[in-house]
Amino acid sequence: MNIVNKVMSNKWIITLYTLPALLLIIVLIVVPLILSGYFGLMNWDGIGAMEFIGLDNYIVALQDTKFWQSAMHSFLLALFSALSLIAYLAVALILASKIKGANLFRKIYLIPMLLSSVAIAQLWIKVYNPSNGMLNSILMTLGVNNPPAWLADPNIVLYAIFVPIIWQYAGFYILIYYAALKNIPDSLIEAAKIDGATPLQIALKIKIPLIMNVFKVTIVLAIVGSLKYFDLIYVMTGGGPNGASEVMASYMYKLAFSSYDFGYGSAIGFLLLIITLIVTVIVRKVTATKEEIEY
Amino acid sequence: MKLRKAVTLIGMLLIFTLLLAACNEEDGGESGSNETSSGDAKSVKFMHLWPEGSSAQHYKIVNEIIADFEAENDDITIDLEVLSNEQYKDKITVLSTSNELPDVGMTWAAGYMEPFVNGNMFASVDDVVESDLSDSFVEGTLDGFAIDDTTYGLPLELNISTVFYNKSIFEEHGLEEPETMEELNEIVKTLNDNGVNPIALGNRDAWTGSMWYMYLADRLGGDEDVLSEAINREKSFEDPVLIQAAEEVQSLIDADAFVQGFNGLADEEAKSMFMSEQAAMYLIATWDLPNFTTNEDVPQEFRDSVGYFQFPTVDGSGDVNNYVGGPGVGLFVAENSDVKEEAKAFASYFLQQWGEKAVTEVGVIPATKVDAESLDLPEMYVDVLNDLNAATNITLYADVQMSPSAAQVHLDMIQALFGGEVTPEDFAKTHEDTLSQE
Amino acid sequence: MSRIGYSLLYICLGLVAVFQIFPILWLFMFSLKTNQEIFAGSPFALPLEPKWENYLKVFDGGIATYFWNSIWITVVATVLTILIASMATFAITRMKWKLSGLVLGLIMVGLMIPIHSALIPLYNMFLNVNLIDNPLSIVLTYITYNLPITVMILLGFYTTIPREIEEAAIIDGSSIHRLFFRIILPISAPIMSTTVIINMIYNWNEFVFVNTFISSEKYKTLTVGIQNFIGQYMTDWGAIGATLVISVLPIIIAFLFFSNKIMEGITASAVKG
Repeated sequence: MNIVNKVMSNKWIITLYTLPALLLIIVLIVVPLILSGYFGLMNWDGIGAMEFIGLDNYIVALQDTKFWQSAMHSFLLALFSALSLIAYLAVALILASKIKGANLFRKIYLIPMLLSSVAIAQLWIKVYNPSNGMLNSILMTLGVNNPPAWLADPNIVLYAIFVPIIWQYAGFYILIYYAALKNIPDSLIEAAKIDGATPLQIALKIKIPLIMNVFKVTIVLAIVGSLKYFDLIYVMTGGGPNGASEVMASYMYKLAFSSYDFGYGSAIGFLLLIITLIVTVIVRKVTATKEEIEY
Repeated sequence: MKLRKAVTLIGMLLIFTLLLAACNEEDGGESGSNETSSGDAKSVKFMHLWPEGSSAQHYKIVNEIIADFEAENDDITIDLEVLSNEQYKDKITVLSTSNELPDVGMTWAAGYMEPFVNGNMFASVDDVVESDLSDSFVEGTLDGFAIDDTTYGLPLELNISTVFYNKSIFEEHGLEEPETMEELNEIVKTLNDNGVNPIALGNRDAWTGSMWYMYLADRLGGDEDVLSEAINREKSFEDPVLIQAAEEVQSLIDADAFVQGFNGLADEEAKSMFMSEQAAMYLIATWDLPNFTTNEDVPQEFRDSVGYFQFPTVDGSGDVNNYVGGPGVGLFVAENSDVKEEAKAFASYFLQQWGEKAVTEVGVIPATKVDAESLDLPEMYVDVLNDLNAATNITLYADVQMSPSAAQVHLDMIQALFGGEVTPEDFAKTHEDTLSQE
Repeated sequence: MSRIGYSLLYICLGLVAVFQIFPILWLFMFSLKTNQEIFAGSPFALPLEPKWENYLKVFDGGIATYFWNSIWITVVATVLTILIASMATFAITRMKWKLSGLVLGLIMVGLMIPIHSALIPLYNMFLNVNLIDNPLSIVLTYITYNLPITVMILLGFYTTIPREIEEAAIIDGSSIHRLFFRIILPISAPIMSTTVIINMIYNWNEFVFVNTFISSEKYKTLTVGIQNFIGQYMTDWGAIGATLVISVLPIIIAFLFFSNKIMEGITASAVKG
């Protein structure tokens, strides 16, 4: 055993294996991050001279109702994204079980994931068009007289835009779960079957516990991805009407790139990161288990 | 073991690249991409926002002008970069933070270019205007590009907005061009009673709704341009006229004047509703004239049925020869350009060539004077050019007049006002608070 | 399960499948329509006169260069990302050292940065080292910004690899490189294929970085070609549809290929294991 430990703690090898990733991340992510935190201390329109104003931007941000409103929307998105993981897991369980045609279904299910945000946004703009959109056409044939204007109604728009966002990532998570499930040795499942376990029991007692590590990782991915989400919101509503679908990243973008309030935008971006960091740490703590599951 | 060697090699290469990059940082900072190529030829970097895919005619003319310019000045080459609208704006923002603007580029007027001017990014083009282009711009178009009596941009287009309408829909319901708001309200009612969408509006982009608000404010203000005065702080935004204009907007909303769900529609979608005869009227600026006249992709039948009228008077007040509009994009020359003289020469040449080509081949109303009589133009162009000549006042789009951050508040408030989320009083108050803080 | 249960299951699966396959069909119809039909007509309608010229327009727009750039940038960035991420994940999860938690934390921070915060600092850094308008800036950025998510996905898998495998290998006298390249990497083939697919999609569809760091036509990628049809006053949606269809084809082919790899990988490791 000693030799194993010795080989597995070889400093030179560890350095060699982690250095490329570490260097890239420090130079191209951490440094820009520190810089953006630093810009957050400035009164700067991105063009003229910078003026150091200390923590003013951050203090203003903490009292900015628009920021908190957008943060609330981001949190809601994170919540829905995390909940939807359960559905994706269920789909992946069905696809990974040995039913006929599972392979074909899996490929079809992942197709939307291949499309770029531009295409998805165009599709959903057409789905939601109030007068001749797909959704309202169907509703009207079903006899609904006044179907809502999905992207115009401030009470609905946020949830309307969550649907395509969550749908867009379905393939991503199903793919990950599927690969993880396929990785479970057949012998375990066969043994359970011989013991007379039903498919549901096998799923709950064997499969899900075995991929719990993967599931936890996806929770973090879903939450982090939601908190910094930007693409479809920017294209489909621009955060409107009047901020009803604004999220943290789109608010930050507006400040920096449309209002030329670069210092403040950077501060919001930095706060976004801090918030995400805190939430991630909490999530990791909550989902942490003492024993490592191994087989 | 080949794989292992390859990996080590790649890893080393990567680290090497990064180290190299880090070393370069110390001595290479100044000699950025701005440096012109060696040899005799000087290269002028030019960025514009008319990609070939969507603006084929603009793109072609720009290339012609560049080719002609290069032929006449064989020591100068133009280094071109083309981006679409949104991408152009984003990239200019990023470039300006590193003081890396192209030698010649495009800018919008007033509020948009103010930070660039204050940051000393744009060069004065007064000399160009005086020497080459004196007397060639339409009266007043340079004002939007001037700050403290210095001109920083050379306008290319001039647009006024008018209400375009579908003549065949109007005929079908026995309607005529309205001259007063009361008549417009009647038309809206008749159309609604007959199940026709009265007005196409894509207010997701908010500047569209802003034009409606601006016109109402202009008409109610009579001879005074209350809105502009409020923006430049000669008046309060809580002026009765500006509140009343907001009330008028809400009464239009209450009368269902606009298409369903307008607050979630992009201008593009609203335009398509008008162009597919699903709505009877559409307030837009003259940049859309080609779609209603010469654009072969649009059915002839539709183009023949489009007419336009000036925004009506409100409560018997207002001058129909007042317009909401203004210059579109203009050319700037970068202050820190290494080839400023060449850049200015190019910008000047561009402006001289642009006017006539723009109106005849692209269908743009240029900011430089053209002799409409001598050109073979569609009737609607002639009418618009005549209206322009008769214009008493052109109020620049509010979101262009304001600073970028105030404009953002304005656009949000417009959406809130049209969505009935805010009272006219609060609408005015929010504007007043924002503008007075600047 | 009963027969009725199965039928119900298949009906549900089938319905979802229709829902998922619809976007591609819709996109194809979209690409053959005029602006009028796209905005005013029923979205379910077939194009009246299929406008194949939309595709011609796209090819006239110099798409070949964009296409090639998209391919090589995607491939190079994906391969390097997977390699670097696998190595880092291996060291973090399987090897024993004190700072592994810290390094993992740092990588996770990379997940959280909103790209618009990073854009301006990155531009400035690349400018200082003369990498603006150089495809290397794009490749480096793609690798770095996809590293965190790749590591995270690999992480869940790597932690489940039984210790016995590496112990046996090392006691047999295998070097650590051999362990990693000959044993760990092959076992992780299914999850690697998954990360390949995800990386490919991200790199292929990215445009904010290309748009900001690249200015020469000769280095631009397909996504920029799509933007080419979005205009200041008028957008040619049919042509955008055509570009989208053309640009999604290679990714579909690659996806089907790697999607099968997920299966193959398992059978291969099953045989060995």
